[in-house]
Amino acid sequence: MNREVLISKWLDNDLNDQELEAFKNLEDYDDLIKLSNSVQTFKADEYDTPKELERVLSTITPITIGAKKQTHWFKPFMRIAAILAICFSLYYYTTTLNTNITTDVAQKTTVDLPDESSAILNAKSLLVYNKKSWENERDVALDGEAFFKVAKGSSFNVITKSGTVTVYGTQFNVKQRDHYFEVICYEGLVGVTYNSKETKLKAGDSFLNIDGKIIAKEKENRPTPSWLNNESQFKSMPYKEVLAEFERQYGITFSLQNIDNEQLFTGNFTHDNIDIALKSITLPLQLTYSKTNHTIILKRE
Amino acid sequence: MAQSTTKMTKQLQEHICEERLFSSIFNKYSKDLHNFLYYKYGELLNPKDKVQEAFVKLWENCAKISSDKAKSFVFTTANNLMLNEVAHQKVVLKHQQTKPKLYTNESPEFLMQETEYMDKLQKALSNLTDAQREAFMMNRVEGKRFKEIADILDISTKAVEKRIYGALEKLRRDIKEL
Repeated sequence: MNREVLISKWLDNDLNDQELEAFKNLEDYDDLIKLSNSVQTFKADEYDTPKELERVLSTITPITIGAKKQTHWFKPFMRIAAILAICFSLYYYTTTLNTNITTDVAQKTTVDLPDESSAILNAKSLLVYNKKSWENERDVALDGEAFFKVAKGSSFNVITKSGTVTVYGTQFNVKQRDHYFEVICYEGLVGVTYNSKETKLKAGDSFLNIDGKIIAKEKENRPTPSWLNNESQFKSMPYKEVLAEFERQYGITFSLQNIDNEQLFTGNFTHDNIDIALKSITLPLQLTYSKTNHTIILKRE
Repeated sequence: MAQSTTKMTKQLQEHICEERLFSSIFNKYSKDLHNFLYYKYGELLNPKDKVQEAFVKLWENCAKISSDKAKSFVFTTANNLMLNEVAHQKVVLKHQQTKPKLYTNESPEFLMQETEYMDKLQKALSNLTDAQREAFMMNRVEGKRFKEIADILDISTKAVEKRIYGALEKLRRDIKEL
């Protein structure tokens, strides 16, 4: 085997035992080994691959956003999608949110419902309805007293704690206070569901329930409830109901001394003048009153 | 089998812009590239920085380059970067390395001979062509076999053998003459 082949095989680390012997016997074997060993000292600088990788990655990361629109569309896309989702859910949430309208003591307000219908709220009342679902179901929840003018359309329900009023016609008054539930129909036809029993009221009919007892009432002949004209009217009504209404209209509290609050009262009081109103409810029963701040003390004469 | 291989390479091609694949390419080739540049151009031209630059360029063009072309891309890019600088600065290349002190017990005369030998070797290495030097150093210092070097340089095994053998002969001639 000639010298050149042996050296080539040595260079390529490809010598077998026999060839290695032959290679060692070459006259310039020592020179070759010395050269080879000496060359090792010219080894390249240490190359720390993980460190260099970190370096290159820290350089390219800021480039990423600008340089690779095509492949990195996913992240920005997700951001936009997230924003849209939030906007949409906010929109959805706010539009499907119930609308609450409350009145405080001595306050009345008119509520225009989504269609031509409207409701007038008496003092200290709460009305809740939903704009979004109005087209499908005209439901309002009521806690207190309100007068409704209902536009033609699908059935109109007034849901109260005491019972549900379904409207077939147009104008009616619902009064729901503690232990007190009264519906008066002024025009058209109204259905009152109380204890899952429906009573239909024609114009002038009324439904009254105090402390769970249904009380018959004579025909109503006024066209609208009296409170719309800033007046509360009572016919054979327990005196405590009268006082409760008075408290709501004037924001005061009564303190009774020796007075039977179950006795029946017929009469009315105005919402505009507390002195006249007080006289209206005390004189017929021969009571006297004295005012201290927001408390009114009633006494038998 | 062939089908699944093509499918796999296709997948690789599609995701070269992904950091994970990019890192694996870096881990696979960057050291060879660095050593190649070092032996070819010496340390003065910052082979490490050229490796960095080449891989940054690879990243910037990742959408256009398939993973099987990545290796030749970074090698060509880094080589061009080096050539630009060589043309620019006309730097004389040197392989400089502090020698390990292996011969402390030797006589001063011997030490002097050794130093002389190393100086000659250094000069002789500088006299090799770039092609000879890069192949010879990868073989002798990095212990790479002809086939591996052929893969790195994209040339035939025979050509590698020719370069290395030629380099060896030239070195020995130069050392004798100097």
